[in-house]
Amino acid sequence: MADPILRVDSVVKTFGGLHAVDDVSFQMEPGEIVGLIGPNGAGKTTLFNVISGYYAPTRGRVFFKGEDVSGRPPYDLAALGIGRTFQVVKPFPGLSVLENVVVASFCRHPRKADAERHAWKVLELTGLDDRARLSAASLTLAGRKRLEISKALALEPSLLLLDEVVAGLNPTEADRTVELILKLRDRGISILVVEHIMRVIMSISDRVVVINFGRQIALGEPAEVAKDPEVIKAYLGEEAA
Amino acid sequence: MPSSRILALLLLLAGVLVLPLIFPDPFFVRIVTEAFMWIGLAITWDVMAGYTGYLNFGHGAFFGLGAYATAILMVRAGWPFLLTLPVAGAFAGVAAVIAGVPTLRLKGAYFAIATWAVALAVQQLALVLEITGGPDGMRLPPFLHPQFFFYLMLGVTAGTFLLLWFLLERAPFGLKLKAIREDESGAMALGINPTKVKVQAFTLSAVPAGVLGGVYAYWITFIDPASVLADIITDQAMVMAVFGGLGTLVGPVIGAVLIFAFKTYFWAYLSDYQVLYLVILGGVIALSIVFIPDGLWGTLTGYARGRQALKKGVETGLSLNGSAKIEKKGGGENG
Repeated sequence: MADPILRVDSVVKTFGGLHAVDDVSFQMEPGEIVGLIGPNGAGKTTLFNVISGYYAPTRGRVFFKGEDVSGRPPYDLAALGIGRTFQVVKPFPGLSVLENVVVASFCRHPRKADAERHAWKVLELTGLDDRARLSAASLTLAGRKRLEISKALALEPSLLLLDEVVAGLNPTEADRTVELILKLRDRGISILVVEHIMRVIMSISDRVVVINFGRQIALGEPAEVAKDPEVIKAYLGEEAA
Repeated sequence: MPSSRILALLLLLAGVLVLPLIFPDPFFVRIVTEAFMWIGLAITWDVMAGYTGYLNFGHGAFFGLGAYATAILMVRAGWPFLLTLPVAGAFAGVAAVIAGVPTLRLKGAYFAIATWAVALAVQQLALVLEITGGPDGMRLPPFLHPQFFFYLMLGVTAGTFLLLWFLLERAPFGLKLKAIREDESGAMALGINPTKVKVQAFTLSAVPAGVLGGVYAYWITFIDPASVLADIITDQAMVMAVFGGLGTLVGPVIGAVLIFAFKTYFWAYLSDYQVLYLVILGGVIALSIVFIPDGLWGTLTGYARGRQALKKGVETGLSLNGSAKIEKKGGGENG
């Protein structure tokens, strides 16, 4: 069988004495959507930062398509095919929406004309093409989250890390984003999703990883995980379990 | 570029080319030559400040290194002048790599502090070394041909402008720089290695400054640390770029022309009050940061685009507020 697209192997990330991520292991198959959930401060974003190269793991390793990529810088990983969005969106506010995506397109299309053509295609897919010429600073939150996805997509990634791209959107916008995520999966992109909205995560994920205080407490299909007493305890407290 | 603008540019260039033929007065030719030099220094300083978002407080050091490279090669090694220019540029470029690699790995103010320190170090080195002539400076073989320097300075500056225009406004490189300026860690996620790109930009800004220094040294025929390594060189280039408009190429050109014209007028007619010039320079930079943070050119084009967007906004039903806000952005972020 082919290598898993992503394998997280006993990853630990500490800040001083704090174990932000403490021994997390899971793997993703090509074309799979995996949900990463856990209460606030559980270490989801830290784990994202480790996988995407922003932090080197303190211990453990990250494999991408069978290759050990632990501690490699983000720009190398982007070139290898890992695209990510940021929970706190990072548009380039002084550039237009199109330019934002063109910058990302350079990764696969070093010539400017090619990069622009590619960026237009991405914007059509994500539905931002009508706002392409506007300044990125003028976008609403929903638009900015869409721009985050567009930029990550312009890298033509085989693994996409989405950090709370649905949170904060109104129900219509949220549905459109979920639709987009499923469309991307159908194109063969593997997607790791961090999200707080259970309705979303449970409906789109093939499998779910649950972490709490940095530790992995459950891993499995959404329905199983939702029944797991450990998970219920983490979310609702001792009494309810 | 629309053909009308290319035509305007060609006309301007033709006008500049025949200038010394129409006004052969050496004083005038000299002033315009120096204006070219300041244009070159202002646009190269803007590569880091305006496009990349990193303040270089030691730009004058590259100019001085270039000047000394040319002087040393000509006086001590007997090189012909034109051969020293590539070396002057390379010298400045290597200095930029050496200063840039350790400091541009970091974000924020470290770079600004380091460039300031490097400039001081270069000043001190030139003062104590024997090969530079120390505080006595160096005298170059005189070549009294104002027209030659007029066209050479014009050529170096125009060539630099075209190179920067292509790299920053046409090629992918410029967008990558702007992405780093806007959000460095965000740019990293898109496959951009910020340290590498920043060092490239820094080198790109240093090499032409070194060449300009080389030309200046031969033109003026005497250099010492107090002239080619003075703080005022960096300061003046900064004020020109900020006043004209950061993050554009046209802005620093306009800033350089206006400020240099003002300086020349001031020194020619009000030389008793030379000290006032620095006070006014400081005032200009403070006022332009407060009132026109996008600089003259940025404010003018921003105003024009704002009017356009407002018109378009009405047509497409966008809110006036929204489109006005769009145009407000831009250079403001870099200050």
